[in-house]
Amino acid sequence: MTSHTDAIDARDIANLHHVRDLFGHADPVPSDLAERIKFAITVHALHAEVAELMDSALLTTRGADAKVEPTPTDSVTFTAASVSLMVSSGPADSDDTDDADDRVRVDGWVTTPGAQIEAVTTEGSSRVISDANGRFVLDDLPHGPVHFVVTDPGNEDMRPVITPTIQI
Amino acid sequence: MTPTPTAPDGLGTRAGKAFAAYRAGERERLSELVDLVTPVLWNAARSQGGAPATCEDAIQTAFLQLVDRADSINEPAAVLGWLVVVVKREVWRLARGARREFGVEEVPEAPAQQLDPEAQSILSERQRVLWTHVSTLSPRCQELLRVIAFADRPDYAAIAESLGMPVGSIGPTRGRCLQKLRTTLGTDPGWAV
Repeated sequence: MTSHTDAIDARDIANLHHVRDLFGHADPVPSDLAERIKFAITVHALHAEVAELMDSALLTTRGADAKVEPTPTDSVTFTAASVSLMVSSGPADSDDTDDADDRVRVDGWVTTPGAQIEAVTTEGSSRVISDANGRFVLDDLPHGPVHFVVTDPGNEDMRPVITPTIQI
Repeated sequence: MTPTPTAPDGLGTRAGKAFAAYRAGERERLSELVDLVTPVLWNAARSQGGAPATCEDAIQTAFLQLVDRADSINEPAAVLGWLVVVVKREVWRLARGARREFGVEEVPEAPAQQLDPEAQSILSERQRVLWTHVSTLSPRCQELLRVIAFADRPDYAAIAESLGMPVGSIGPTRGRCLQKLRTTLGTDPGWAV
């Protein structure tokens, strides 16, 4: 006979694993919930303005139906009150890497020259400053979800602008 | 069995480390915290009987409160329990809506766990058997077992406490809920393999 005062043993742990499988299967965590929470935290922490995705809603990972895989496309535009941002993605430069297919290069253009563009990916974030024409390149990004945060180091009054998450 | 120095950290410990690092200025560690604890929080929220959208909002709100109050949280190591408490309270607050019949601190007990018919239809035969047995447990036991199942053994006691269970409900001893599950499964010839 076993008692409730015994130490938890391997059978209890196995039973709990079955319980976990049961609820994990019948009522799974929405696949994009963690990403949406991170996005909400970032917007909140930055007091940021959220840019709108202007084309290809297929790109967004924030749709109501998480089952639909976002379709990668070549180019996408975001617009906020203070700034617009266009980005296009393609394979990374393959000068000296064998696995160039695994990395992504993002070419972009922003309406503010000298703005800082931060790409937040699953690996962390990469920052770049746009040139005098507003152009910028972010090379060597991982495939997967990414969102951008645009700030203007030359203008303290500008609220940061954050884009919805897209797949690259 | 008590955790030994060589045992891997439980979920709660890893969450506490990520949160402490975030407070110390490693901003990106917050993502790690979100990834670690979201499954536990989802099950804590859903076990209160809240609709999926309500549960998502409650979890999001809990994290935003955590960020706002990060520096005033006394025990960063106990962040998982803190989040469970806030999520549970938020689900009830949101479900109550505009009605103000309860005080904010007053959190009713979780209802018996429900699975909608669509979810039940996708269960395997063995999961169906398990579900039948889980359903015979008290609502409190169902809630407790559902939530701790998504954590690690060193976390059971702290999670039970943050769900409002009496100290000693579970961990390091089995406790009555796990014992009941073990007994009811043990008496079912259809479960034994």
